[in-house]
Amino acid sequence: MNTAPITSWEGAEAYFTFADKPALLVLFTLIGIGVCVWTIASMASHENKAYKDM
Amino acid sequence: MEQSVPELMARLDSLEASLSMATTINSEVFYWWCTALMLAIHAGFLAYEMGASRAKNALASGMKNLIAFAFLIPAFYYIGWWIYLAFPTGFTISDGSEAGLPWSANMGPNLTDNASGIFYAAFTLFAATTASIMSGSVIERIRISGFTILALFLGSVVWVFGASWGWHPDGWLTTEWGLHDVGAAGAVHTIAGFFTLGVLINLGPRIGRFNADGSVNNIDGHNMPMSLIGLMLIVMGFFGFLGGCIIYTGDTWMTIYNTPATLSAFAFNTLMGVAGGMIGAYLVTRDPFWMMSGALIGVISSAPALDLYYPGLAFLISFGGGCIMPKLNDILVGKFKIDDAVGAVAVHGFGGVWGLIMAGVFASGYQNVAGPEISFVGQLSSAVVFMILGFAPGYVLSLILKVVGLLRVTDKAELAGLDKAEVPVSAYPESTVPAAFTNDPASPTPAE
Repeated sequence: MNTAPITSWEGAEAYFTFADKPALLVLFTLIGIGVCVWTIASMASHENKAYKDM
Repeated sequence: MEQSVPELMARLDSLEASLSMATTINSEVFYWWCTALMLAIHAGFLAYEMGASRAKNALASGMKNLIAFAFLIPAFYYIGWWIYLAFPTGFTISDGSEAGLPWSANMGPNLTDNASGIFYAAFTLFAATTASIMSGSVIERIRISGFTILALFLGSVVWVFGASWGWHPDGWLTTEWGLHDVGAAGAVHTIAGFFTLGVLINLGPRIGRFNADGSVNNIDGHNMPMSLIGLMLIVMGFFGFLGGCIIYTGDTWMTIYNTPATLSAFAFNTLMGVAGGMIGAYLVTRDPFWMMSGALIGVISSAPALDLYYPGLAFLISFGGGCIMPKLNDILVGKFKIDDAVGAVAVHGFGGVWGLIMAGVFASGYQNVAGPEISFVGQLSSAVVFMILGFAPGYVLSLILKVVGLLRVTDKAELAGLDKAEVPVSAYPESTVPAAFTNDPASPTPAE
């Protein structure tokens, strides 16, 4: 998979992976937020179970 | 050997380019190490809060710190940095703030932007500090999930508005009221302290903290030496924090308000502030825990005008803060029944207010680059804004979490110990811990 937004270092600016595909960057952001929210939900679920099991 | 004018001009251009690049790299290096040093703040909060907890809660207390730190890094990337750039004028979005959106070309490796990443990093550590300020107050009874939600909201939204309004060259508190708060006493400490107060009101005290007649029981942590070392680490980390509060331009230093300053000024007054706060807190408490908290009070008391104070004055202002804040904590606990396990509301919340007001008293008349000169009224009014900005969201969000059952652990889990309830490993599996501090619910602390 070619993820490079540049074809030469000459005059390169933003050179990070997928820098030329903003829709993908938005997608990565949304997935990242989703991972955080999901983990917090999992945390709450773990606590509920732990309190019930005591 | 004679050189032609074009050759000399070319060499001059080359030298200027090299100098410019050296300045840029020096700036990156400076903030890189400030950020690294700020990690000591979080190592310190970790040790300090685990030590301030009873043995049965030590790891659960530490988990909070670790989780807040881990979650705040992406949260500040996703939204916090953009809020800082977007809202210096209030609630309308400023031009150019799109550079802080997580899908912007500035928010990743970019050969034409040496600043965004390094400032994002420094501000992220400031953000994590706000969450750590709250963290110690709520130990031994808050749910980790509820705490994480509160920490995310405080660290990536609430304090960022305060920073954008008052710790930004174009922030309206400065351009309209002349606020001067170079060390972020208001934007970080007051906001976090008053957010914490709002949370504590809804969270309630630990079981056994107060008797039926209203008298107070001390609930000692299990490892005071660890807490003291942690507090000293926080003080060390504050040299990174305060270093990150000054702008390196290559030929001079500037405050965040674009007024000229020196790092020497910060060095004088930070150290004198630390000493003043420690001595003041010792005088009124004789307690090593409060003496080290006094060091933080001292830093915060002098922080708003670190660039301006005569060091002997910074010492006295911080000494005053060190004398007053432990007594304020006594009032919060004894009179208002606020169970703040580490005194963070007094140390950070009221310590920040004290620092802002003292800058209004002793630094009035200094010119700002944008906005009116520093004044007592401007400092006091800004302090009130920071107090409300911290307290209101902390109270409302914690109330919502309380209603949906995400704020506080069950009584059974609290009595047994949160480590036993939630953490899959043991803090002291092979050591001998006094029976009164074990996970054995049959041997609760005397207060319980």
